[in-house]
Amino acid sequence: MAVLSLREKDARFGWKLVLPTVILISLLILYPVFYNIYLSFFEVSISDTPNKFVGLQNYKEILFDSSFWKSFGITILFTLTTVIGSILVGLGVALLMNREFPGRNIVRALILLPYVTPLIAIVFAWKYIFLPIDGPLMQFLANFGMNPGNDFVNNPNNAFWVVSIFNIWRNFPFVYLMLLSRLQSIPSDYYEAAEIDGASDWQKFLYITLPELYFVIASVALLRGIWNFYKFDEVYLMSKFANTLPIYIYEKAFSGIPEQGIAAAIATILFIIMISLIGLYVKKVLKW
Amino acid sequence: MKKIIVLMLAVLLVTSIFAKITFWTTEVESNRMQRIRALATIFKAQTGIDVEVVPVEENDLLKQIPIAKNAGTLPDVLESGIEPMILLGSQNFLDEDLSTKIINDFGDIYSGAAKLLSNGKDKFYAIPFHAWVQGIWYRKDMFVSQDLGDPITWYNIALAAKVLNNPQKGVYGIILPKKADAYAEQVFTEVALANGARPIDENGNITFNTPEMVEAFRFYKELGKYSKPGFTTVLDALKGYLNGETAMIFYSTYIMDDIAVEEVQKGRINKFNPQLVKNTGFANKMINTRPTSYGQVVALGVTKNANKDEVEKFIKFLMSDKNYVYWVHMAPGGMNPTRKSVAESDAFLDNPVLERYGKAKIAEIIAALDSVERFEFINGKVITDMSKLSANFVIGKAINYMFANDWTPQQTAMWAQKEAEKVLGK
Repeated sequence: MAVLSLREKDARFGWKLVLPTVILISLLILYPVFYNIYLSFFEVSISDTPNKFVGLQNYKEILFDSSFWKSFGITILFTLTTVIGSILVGLGVALLMNREFPGRNIVRALILLPYVTPLIAIVFAWKYIFLPIDGPLMQFLANFGMNPGNDFVNNPNNAFWVVSIFNIWRNFPFVYLMLLSRLQSIPSDYYEAAEIDGASDWQKFLYITLPELYFVIASVALLRGIWNFYKFDEVYLMSKFANTLPIYIYEKAFSGIPEQGIAAAIATILFIIMISLIGLYVKKVLKW
Repeated sequence: MKKIIVLMLAVLLVTSIFAKITFWTTEVESNRMQRIRALATIFKAQTGIDVEVVPVEENDLLKQIPIAKNAGTLPDVLESGIEPMILLGSQNFLDEDLSTKIINDFGDIYSGAAKLLSNGKDKFYAIPFHAWVQGIWYRKDMFVSQDLGDPITWYNIALAAKVLNNPQKGVYGIILPKKADAYAEQVFTEVALANGARPIDENGNITFNTPEMVEAFRFYKELGKYSKPGFTTVLDALKGYLNGETAMIFYSTYIMDDIAVEEVQKGRINKFNPQLVKNTGFANKMINTRPTSYGQVVALGVTKNANKDEVEKFIKFLMSDKNYVYWVHMAPGGMNPTRKSVAESDAFLDNPVLERYGKAKIAEIIAALDSVERFEFINGKVITDMSKLSANFVIGKAINYMFANDWTPQQTAMWAQKEAEKVLGK
């Protein structure tokens, strides 16, 4: 038996340590990803007849499907709107909460409520306050001459905006939390030095705060971008007719006569687009 | 001998431990689930067969089936309306032989109800379990005070909606479905058939663009003018009617206990109007160019991979004697037996709600089951494509967009035509 060097032993031990993780990731992530890619080449049967191999037919069908491109555009717009929106709101709130004022701790805790309350509860609350005629918000707005019969949540034309505003409102506390923790670790010397140099508040924000927050904002934007690109639950519960891609995939896969091969192909296309975008983003924006 | 008995008992014990069936029901409300679970417990006590009852929302049923298929958790029996059943049957999910056998074994199932589940080849996709009829429920007192005729013809309905609409006083002529769901399609079906309009004709052509259909959308939009604002749904209609917010709603006979029973009504709106039963009328048909009535049969479908013997026992248990009456009494008036012997039995009519409406009214409702019309059936033919349009809410979406975008009836019909062509790949 060959005698192993210390280095080789270390390497083997290292493999033994990571093996459980590798197996788990393979089972839970890699297998579904590859199975999905495999399915995308088939016409998947939901009854007892076997799946039929169709090659690139599913991909061809999607790329020539105007509804897919429409959904794709809506999803990009949804991701941009919600990521930028939640970062702007989160940043504003974090800057405010970074100042000393009485009752700050209570306010800080309250701000987290939209993020920690169960989704289904806040969806119902939103639907209730926006109820036409009987909803409290609509009754309140009626005092200012607005037609209380407006149905903001269920109007299919508003679906996109309702879902976007809801998403920003629900997720800004996450951004706020990340930014606040970074804000608190910026040394106060920087600001004192800037003050001595006669910098205005805006200049301090632009030349100290923003550069210090750059990587946190960039990382949060990446995370929120990925989550919102695939966001299903919030969108579906608020309005099934917002037409984003995850809803489109769900409809294709599970409604009417399910076309799971096509749904798998859409998921594969999205996967490729996302992987490329993330790679580019990490390299150019995060500069890793 | 003793040994054989012991062995038989052991076998019985072992099989009874393992015998299990899964039953999906669309009766998701908690009081209904309680009754169904009670029936499952009695069934287990009698036969040793365990029944797992799973509630599934009707609108989600077709989405759940493929998920369950892939996960290997398809139920043995499922209860749902006709559209999902026909779609599942046409996709080869259902055991037509067993359903046909059970229907024949009973021998007294209303042929009109069974016909709606025919596969067109002398067999049945599923077993008709219970049924309801839809129509306009209206406030007779409001109609009489304004000297309006019963809301049976298009003219009478539109006139009543206009005259009785008084938003300043918080009363609307009607509460009409405007959201893209199954309820909108149900109501529109009655409107369209009263004008001789159908989405798909006998030869499978999509016919949303016919003048009859455009006219049906026009009438629907006209009613929308006198309807409660918002994209109202079935629950808005029910609560609005019980609250006295509207003069008319489209609803099935399921509403009968909500109107008549104090505790049911209080469960919906937190108050009770004892005069409502007396003041409520029901228009069980609609006429414009022809008369029509709309109803729904809820069926029990047996999946192909089911435990057949256990399922047969369970269905026969559910549809016999006091078990059957106990089931249909969970929604008196709404759930009517599809077996003639049970529908005519004293046990079925022995119910506080059914008594208040009277034997004659109940008989009239059940008899209507032999004449209900649906888009899925023309002259004995089954239009399976219609189930695909329903599953994709094509009609509901068309109505939703018509109100949201203020489309003309022509625009709406054209959109529905294109959408239907897309869904059916034509």
